[in-house]
Amino acid sequence: MKIILRYLKIWWLMSRNAFLAVLSQRIGFTIFLIGKILRFSLFFVFIIFLLKGTNSLAGYNLNQTLFFFLTFNLIDTISQFLFREVYRFRPLVVSGSFDLVLTKPVSALFRSLMGGADVIDFVTIPFLIMAVIYIGKLLNPSTLGILYYILLLFNGLILATAFHIAVLALGIITLEIDHTVMIYRDLTALARFPVDIYKEPIKGILTFLIPIGIMITLPAKALMGITSLMGVLWSLGLGGTALFLSLRFWKFALTKYTSASS
Amino acid sequence: MHKYFQIFKISFQQEFAYRLNFVMWRARNVMQIILTFFLWNTVFYDPSREVFGYNKEKILTYVFGILVLRAIVLSARAVDMAGEIANGDITNYLLKPVSYFKYWFTRDIASKTLNLSFAGVEALILFLILKPNIFLQTDFLMIILFIVSVAIAVTLFFYILFLVNLVTFWMPENGWAAQFLFVVILTEFLSGGAFPIDILPPVLQHILYGLPFPYLLFFPLQVYLGKISGLAIARGILTGGLWIMVLAFLTRIIWPRGLKRYSAEGR
Repeated sequence: MKIILRYLKIWWLMSRNAFLAVLSQRIGFTIFLIGKILRFSLFFVFIIFLLKGTNSLAGYNLNQTLFFFLTFNLIDTISQFLFREVYRFRPLVVSGSFDLVLTKPVSALFRSLMGGADVIDFVTIPFLIMAVIYIGKLLNPSTLGILYYILLLFNGLILATAFHIAVLALGIITLEIDHTVMIYRDLTALARFPVDIYKEPIKGILTFLIPIGIMITLPAKALMGITSLMGVLWSLGLGGTALFLSLRFWKFALTKYTSASS
Repeated sequence: MHKYFQIFKISFQQEFAYRLNFVMWRARNVMQIILTFFLWNTVFYDPSREVFGYNKEKILTYVFGILVLRAIVLSARAVDMAGEIANGDITNYLLKPVSYFKYWFTRDIASKTLNLSFAGVEALILFLILKPNIFLQTDFLMIILFIVSVAIAVTLFFYILFLVNLVTFWMPENGWAAQFLFVVILTEFLSGGAFPIDILPPVLQHILYGLPFPYLLFFPLQVYLGKISGLAIARGILTGGLWIMVLAFLTRIIWPRGLKRYSAEGR
């Protein structure tokens, strides 16, 4: 408990510094915020017009399709808010400044993963949660469905954490972060729509091998009442395994760090 | 002319220097196409279905066309301009007998050549895997008009990118922010890259046609697909050309003012 409180305090300090750094560039902050809101709104509008013309997408109606999209955005935005520091990891490794992180009495993984929360995403999260609640209510979910949804949402965030840890580990080994993290983003973007739109074997790959289906599509399906308890338990098991494997990969990657250029 | 040919050659070789970066960038393009392909494939699950004026053949041609057109129109090295202005590296070019404008245009052409060759191979592989019905334009005149509209798109995008980068002269810290808004978000959505513009209501479409963005990807593809003809094509080419003139005029005004503002920070 003491360790958790200590890390919470460190996270708060690092996040406050990151917030202040971004807010000192008010124009940049405003432009990025406008850009993010525009991207979300334009996609939202696209889905509405698309479903107006087609009535359904892979058997899902407008509200259901919007709910998949909102769930994707919620998980994507929260993970970007928490793990923005990953995008700044490469210069640390390339320049050898990662040495300074390793020598501090704080977990190097914690520092590299959560060292600078993103204030722009933080601003959008409350509105996203409100939109999820509003559209979610229109789907008339059961209490169990809501419970599964929240549980699987956390599981989705655990999977997102595992992905980000793997990206960091890969960054140490290959010195390549920027495109790897963007490929992760593109992969998760494949779940903007339910993975049911994909044909086999892509659908299977997106569900089991790169489990973005479990990360994003499944929570939304759970709220709609089309996921079994077995499916929920199986997903939680996969989330735990992914996190365990990513931590092992991180430990392995650390042994490959050469401290070059430092 | 010789020096720009040398810049082209060096720039082309530079792209190979960061091979992993390039391969990953191409992989990202393919992934975006996979999402769009399956989305529309699901919408047109019935091959005889017609929605928003498209049948399955034409919408899937649109998706593949986007993959190739992105490589021709949107791949550009001039995105690095903002960084050069912000950290003072632009000074190196100002002291050399080289036009900064032509320098970046040449580098863009090198990037487009490489990206196009990769996009061609990717489109072929995806075609063989996904086996979509593709619409082949056989009307020679439409092919010529398509090439003209692509040339307009390439020039237009270069001017947009160049102008957006000039913002860095006034806001050195926010060059990337301006690029994010205009190049990543507005260009992606308003050019027809994310979805065909004609699924939007007519009022919105008319507003968009007054902007330069639809002439980057959407308009050339409409010409290729034969969805517009005669007067609409002429109007589109004219509007695209008009936007080039407006942006070229703005560049002539803003570039010298930016240089006056420039104080070689970081040098």
